[in-house]
Amino acid sequence: MPIARRSKLKRRLPAMLVTGIGGMVAAAVSFATAVYEAANPAPVELVKKDEPIDTGRWLVTINNASMAAVPPTGTKPVDAKRFLTVDLELDNRSAATSNAFMRLISIEMLPSIKLPEPVYYLARDKWIASAINPGMPEKVIAVWEWPEGSPSPKALRFSVAKQIYKPRDNLYGAPGWFEDGKAAIVEMAVSGQPDEAVQ
Amino acid sequence: MMAVLRSILLLGLGALVLFVMQHNTPGYGDITSPIAIRGKAGERVEGHAFAYGAANVHLARVVKTESFGRVRDYSSSGVWLIIEGAAVAKKESLTLLSAEWLSPGGIRYALSQRFSTMRGGYLPTERLEPGLPKPVLIAFELPETAIKGGRLLIARSALTPLGEELWIDLDQKAQLEIKPSITLARGSGSMPWTLAAK
Repeated sequence: MPIARRSKLKRRLPAMLVTGIGGMVAAAVSFATAVYEAANPAPVELVKKDEPIDTGRWLVTINNASMAAVPPTGTKPVDAKRFLTVDLELDNRSAATSNAFMRLISIEMLPSIKLPEPVYYLARDKWIASAINPGMPEKVIAVWEWPEGSPSPKALRFSVAKQIYKPRDNLYGAPGWFEDGKAAIVEMAVSGQPDEAVQ
Repeated sequence: MMAVLRSILLLGLGALVLFVMQHNTPGYGDITSPIAIRGKAGERVEGHAFAYGAANVHLARVVKTESFGRVRDYSSSGVWLIIEGAAVAKKESLTLLSAEWLSPGGIRYALSQRFSTMRGGYLPTERLEPGLPKPVLIAFELPETAIKGGRLLIARSALTPLGEELWIDLDQKAQLEIKPSITLARGSGSMPWTLAAK
């Protein structure tokens, strides 16, 4: 009996070694690729203003950025504030109405300046924007309340995120849109400096 | 030799079967999608927890809302589809939070959220009580091509797996006229709104 068991183990040994070493090699390769990709990110395309950016789910065009003292609603705040308003054109290319555009655009800035989340206004209504329908491009105004004490920017870098569609996601196998890095970076001058106008 | 060949063949066959199944079996989204209850406009469509009936359907280029003497214009690059109807809960109080328009091309348009100032009677803001039918208003902003052959989908929530969803076909025989503008104002008495087309 013990001899038979030993010979069985001997026969299984090569298979165990192959699977063990193979598994370790696979893990090492996947870890190394992840590290390499993190160290050498794919270069992000630099896009001019007024050029449409394909983000997968959306076609985004950043048209203009300016500083204003009044939000798009036209109601002047009681305490003087500065708003960075950015004119956008958005086209939803997915199969359902979505408000995911609100997480698409961010400003690359010094980490010392904490920007609040932007508020999106529908240019048509001059009112807070809701979700945007497929096949119905809309003009939208993104508004950041500029923090007190930090100087008004002369030029800004906007980073536009990308989303990809997965027919089956990794957790449930459900279809959905997922974040997938950056689509483009837009560098542009900021017009209308209320600071200068006031002084 | 034969044994090796046979195991390779079996492995290939298994991979093929798995590939075909991966591409032909319904996905998680299809398996857990809401269960459709079909009906037509103009009749009461019965679910287990609620019922809804669409009565009047209007199309307009511009919607005007009138509230406390203030008029707001809501323009659109497409057409406004406005459906007047009534809904009732059957077993417990509930709110119907999801209404979608499914175009014949399979694109889903969500209920318009632009009338934030006009509260009375809008479907997702109305709490329905069992046995007390309430008039409810639904408004979609759609491209003109999405209207013909589309249907109205109503559910308690868009996210509940295997929930019930009413699929209501609008009467497609009568071609609806697109009116230049529709005015929605606050109603009085039992109707929470009044609708006037121009």
